[in-house]
Amino acid sequence: VPLLSDLLARVAFLAATPAVIGVFVTASLLVVSQDWRLNVIALAAQYFFVALLMTQLVRLEMAAVKGLIGWLVCLVFYLTEQQAQSLRRDVDSGSGVSVQNWFSARLEGWRSHGISARAAFGFLAALLVALTAYVAAFAIPLPQLPRGLSGVCYLLIGLGVLLLGLSQDPVRVGLGLLTFLSGFDLFYVALEPSLVVTGLVGSISFVITLGMAYLRTAHVAGGSAGGAT
Amino acid sequence: LIAGLLLFLALPLVVASVVYVFRGWATLAALLSVGTALALGIAILVLPLGRTVELWGRQIVMGGRVTFLGRELVLEEVDRIAIAFLYLTAAGIFALAWRASPGAMLFPVGLGILSLLSGSLLIRPLIYAVLLVELAIALSILALQIEGQQPTQGGLQYLSFALLAMPGLLVIHWLMDRYALTPDDTGLLEASAILLALSFALLLGSIPFHLWMPSVGADSEPLASAFVFTVNSGAVWFLLLAFLESYPELTAYVRFGPFASGVGLAMVTVGGLFAASQRSLGRLMGYGALIDGGVALVALGMESERGLALAFLAVLARPFGLALMAAGLKGLRRGMGSSDGLDALRGVAWRSPWSTLALVVGGLSTAGFPIGVGFAGRWALYRALASSDVVDVLLLMLASAGVMVGICRAVAALFWRPRSSDGEAGDVARDAPSEGVLTAVVLVLAVTACVGVGFFPQLLAPTALRLAGLYTFLAP
Repeated sequence: VPLLSDLLARVAFLAATPAVIGVFVTASLLVVSQDWRLNVIALAAQYFFVALLMTQLVRLEMAAVKGLIGWLVCLVFYLTEQQAQSLRRDVDSGSGVSVQNWFSARLEGWRSHGISARAAFGFLAALLVALTAYVAAFAIPLPQLPRGLSGVCYLLIGLGVLLLGLSQDPVRVGLGLLTFLSGFDLFYVALEPSLVVTGLVGSISFVITLGMAYLRTAHVAGGSAGGAT
Repeated sequence: LIAGLLLFLALPLVVASVVYVFRGWATLAALLSVGTALALGIAILVLPLGRTVELWGRQIVMGGRVTFLGRELVLEEVDRIAIAFLYLTAAGIFALAWRASPGAMLFPVGLGILSLLSGSLLIRPLIYAVLLVELAIALSILALQIEGQQPTQGGLQYLSFALLAMPGLLVIHWLMDRYALTPDDTGLLEASAILLALSFALLLGSIPFHLWMPSVGADSEPLASAFVFTVNSGAVWFLLLAFLESYPELTAYVRFGPFASGVGLAMVTVGGLFAASQRSLGRLMGYGALIDGGVALVALGMESERGLALAFLAVLARPFGLALMAAGLKGLRRGMGSSDGLDALRGVAWRSPWSTLALVVGGLSTAGFPIGVGFAGRWALYRALASSDVVDVLLLMLASAGVMVGICRAVAALFWRPRSSDGEAGDVARDAPSEGVLTAVVLVLAVTACVGVGFFPQLLAPTALRLAGLYTFLAP
C-alpha cells in the first residue's frame, strides 16, 4: 500500500483529464478485445486510473487500497487464464506460445482479415456509451461528485453493462461486472468513505473474480475450451 | 462469556472450511453441514434472549447489542425467526443433497452463505446488510456450477442482476439521510422509491428481470438452485421488509400496495404461461419459483397485517416444494446423463420411482395444489382476495394450473411405458429401480414432511402471523 500510494502521489498530476482518457481507453479495450492478455493489462490499467481519480475524493491511502484490491483481482484473472491455457495446451498437445509468436499471429490476422466485425461493433457501441455518459453527466450530475467524475462513473457503469450484454463467457461477464462495480465504487466512495464499505466492496470484487475463475477452469477442464483466446 | 450472535457468524465459516477439506468424504461433509445448520437453527429459537446460558462449560449470552469490527449487531425477534428459517431450510436442503449430490460444493458454500446472510439480518445500518447479501449471492455461483459442465449461464445472470441491484439500495440510505435533514424535498423520497422498486425487482426476479430464474433451474445444480430460490430469496424478502420498516416516511409517501400487486400478478401470469409450455423440468422449477414469488408480492400488496402474514406463509412454505422438486430433478437427471428434457426422461419413473415421487409432490406444493404445503397459503390468499379482486384470484389459479400442466406433462413422460417392440427405449422401463434404500428413505421422509405440513398448516401459520405482527410499517 505505501508503495502504491507513493506511486499515486507521484503521478497525481495525471488525476484529471489524462486519467479520464485512460479510463475510456482501457474500458473500451475491454469491450473490443477478445485477447485475455490485453484484457488483463487493460483491467489493471483501469484500476490504476480509477484509483488515481479517487484521490480527488478520498485520502490517498484509501485510493491505494482500492487500487491494490483491483490489481489482486487482475492477478487472479492472469493466473486463471494461465491455468486455462496450460490445460488447453495439454488437450491440444501443442507447443507453448511465445510473445513473438503471439505478436506475429496478431499482425498476420490483422493483415489478412482486418478488424473483425465484432471488434468494430464493440468499438462503435463503446463510443455510443461514452457519448451517452457525457450527456448524462450534464443532464443528471451525480451528487457529491465533480461533473467530470460523474461522466467517468456513467461511462464505467455503461461499458460494464455493455460487456455483460455482449458475452456469455464467464471471464468477459466477470470483466463487465468488475467494470460496473468500479464505476459505482468511484461514485459511492464520495458518499460513504468508510473503510468497512471499502473492504466489503473489495470482497465482492474478489468473490466475483474467484467465481469467474472457477467457472472458467470448469469450462476448460470440461473439455470445451473456448471463449477468451 | 461468548456473545451468542457471533456464533452464528463464525461457526458456519469454521465448519465450512472443515467441510471443504473433507468434501471427498461425502457423508461426513453432509452430516457436518446438516448438524451445524440444524443445531444453530434450533439454538436461535430455543436459547432465551438476554439471558446467560451455560453450554459445555461456556457461558453464552444471546441477544442484545454486540459490536463487531466497529459495527453494531442487533438481534430482534424478527431476526431470530428469520435466521432460524434460513438455517432450518438449509439443513433440509443439505440433508437432501447428502443423497442427491454427495460431495457438492453446496455444503461448504452454503454454510458460508448462511454466515453472511445471518450477518445481513443482524448488522446495522442497512448498507452493510446489502453488501453482505451481495457477497452471499456472489458466493452462490460456486455452488450453482455443476462440476465438469459448461459454465452456468443461470448463475451468471443471477449474479449480474443482483449486482445491478446493489447501487440503488446503497444510495437509498444516503438519500433518506438527506431527506431527514430536508423533509420538504419530496424529490428525495421519489428517487428512493424508484430505486427501491427497481432494486428489489432485480433481486426478486420480477418481470422483466426474471430471466435468471428459469435459467438457474435449467443449467445449475438443482439443490443449489433450490437454495438460491429459498434461502437467498428468503433473506432478500427480509431485507425488503427491513427497508420498509426502517424508512416509514417512504412507506407512507408511496402507496406500494397496488405496485406490489401489479408486479406480483405480472409474475404469476408470465410464470403460469411459460410453465405450462416447458419441456425442461429445471426451467419448470424456475417458473414455479417465479410464480411463488409473485404470489407473495400479491399478498404483500394487500397492505394489511393479514396480507403480510400470507406473504410470510408463502415464503415459509416455499422450501418444502422447491427443495423436494430439486431433489427429484437431481435424481432423474443423474439417471439420464444430466438432461432434464421431457424426451430424455421418457419412462425414467420406472427406474427412479422415489425421485419421481419427490418431483411430483414438490411440484404439487409449488403449484399450490392440495396435499402440498403450498396449497394452504394459496387457499387462504384466494379467500382473502375473493371478495374484492376476483380477477386476481382467477389469475393466481390459472398460474397454478400452468405449473400443474407442466407437472402433468412431466408425469406423462416419466411414466411412459414403451411397447415391447420399442427396442432400446424399452430397456429403460424394464430396468430395476436404481435408487438406494437410504436415498429412498430420505426422499420419503421429505415427502412426508411436505404432505404432513400440508395437512396441518397450523404448524407454519402461527409463525407467519407472529412475524407479520412484529412489523409496524403497515399500521395506520
